[in-house]
Amino acid sequence: MSENHILRAFDRDLDAIQALVMRMGGLVETAITDAAHALEAGDLDKAERVRKADRDIDVLEYRINEEAARVIALRAPTAGDLRVVLSVMKIASALERVGDYAKNMAKRTQALVELGHTPVVAQAGASLRRMTRAVTELLSDALDSYATRDLALAQDVRIRDQEIDQMYNALFREFLTHMLEDPRNITPCIHLHFIAKNIERMGDHATAIAEQVVYLTTGEVPDDPRPKAENVANLPKS
Amino acid sequence: MKDHLERRMTTTDLNRMTARNVQVYYGQNHALKDVDVDILDKTVTAFIGPSGCGKSTFLRCLNRMNDTIQGASVEGQILLEGEDIYDRRVDPVQLRAKVGMVFQKPNPFPKSVYDNVAYGPRIHGLARSKAELDQIVESSLRRAALWNEVKDRLTAPGTGLSGGQQQRLCIARAVATNPEVLLMDEPCSALDPIATAQVEELIDELRANFSVVIVTHSMQQAARVSQKTAFFHLGHLVEYGDTTQIFTKPRDPRTEAYITGRIG
Repeated sequence: MSENHILRAFDRDLDAIQALVMRMGGLVETAITDAAHALEAGDLDKAERVRKADRDIDVLEYRINEEAARVIALRAPTAGDLRVVLSVMKIASALERVGDYAKNMAKRTQALVELGHTPVVAQAGASLRRMTRAVTELLSDALDSYATRDLALAQDVRIRDQEIDQMYNALFREFLTHMLEDPRNITPCIHLHFIAKNIERMGDHATAIAEQVVYLTTGEVPDDPRPKAENVANLPKS
Repeated sequence: MKDHLERRMTTTDLNRMTARNVQVYYGQNHALKDVDVDILDKTVTAFIGPSGCGKSTFLRCLNRMNDTIQGASVEGQILLEGEDIYDRRVDPVQLRAKVGMVFQKPNPFPKSVYDNVAYGPRIHGLARSKAELDQIVESSLRRAALWNEVKDRLTAPGTGLSGGQQQRLCIARAVATNPEVLLMDEPCSALDPIATAQVEELIDELRANFSVVIVTHSMQQAARVSQKTAFFHLGHLVEYGDTTQIFTKPRDPRTEAYITGRIG
């Protein structure tokens, strides 16, 4: 809604809370990119910085919830305003989870470095980087669709998440093969698998953000089934 | 057994009153245009909208209070239980016993608490004996959640009660004739928050037996007490729907602008 409130402080409150969400989104995108670099380069310092930076993301989520509670208590938002407040809380919660996954990636990077150089890690690095880049774009588009209330872009994000799922499925098979070939690959592959799974979950959270944009702009939560890649949980026995 | 979430919704589709194509003119001024509304049984319907939007004008059409205003004319059809209330044969006094009204400022008669409530049943001959009248007065005061506070001072003047009690006395007076519809025009705007909460609680209880129509400037009050909301703007009924829908997902941009505080 482009018109302003008669009470302009209400507009300022809603703008401020949405600016916090965008700032949180920026921190989370940086965390994912840095975590992916740290993994690929085996950079322990960078991994440590990602772990430490997660605190700032958590603090922002707390502040967003506080501000949302304040707006609900003091301004009794309705209709589109109410949807803004409800959606910022959900988006902040999704971003906080994505931040946690990036932090977990950094932790596992540290564990992988301690294991010493293994060829499987080097091999998987490129695939994981591609997957990370795809999920960062997805998240960035989800946040853009939120900032500009772009329903078409939000719908696009919902559809594109299946690409991430497909990348995860491919990596899952790859890790399985490595582990079957050589039991010494099991420890690094388990870590790598968790990292891949975490990136896949990031994509789900980007989708959740896009769904909030649909709710925000239309008042309806999308109930059409979005296209899904096959689920590795249902893979035929090899 | 229905749970609370189901019960708070409208429980019926039965129309008490039906308004179709209602126009109101004050002289040259076309104050209400093409209004269609259904007033459902056992439902609280809230009329909201900025000052001068026509919501009080429309409320006053529902029991022909506009008859007394010089130069006012009403066109279109308003049915109560299927009968046109503007029909020549309808006696407005009888109509107002069936469609009661509570005003913004508590306006008890300068009589005792008892006589305030007994007034309507007396002029309409609803009680055949003193005992029966006592019974009507007590049950009306109980329905208005006032009995326990006034049962020991029924002979005291109604004007001596507190503001909130006076308003509940007016509600008791309105329900004493066993109306089908209760109209309330800003019933809480002269009351403090506690008295307001008591009247709102009372409105929710009255819904079990009556259909209630309330005009209010407080959108939060409309949201709290009603199941159906009608939004009026510049003499038009812009949107009518479930209160939850109006306050979470209004269809008309003017409704959204008004309830979110963007137009006055």
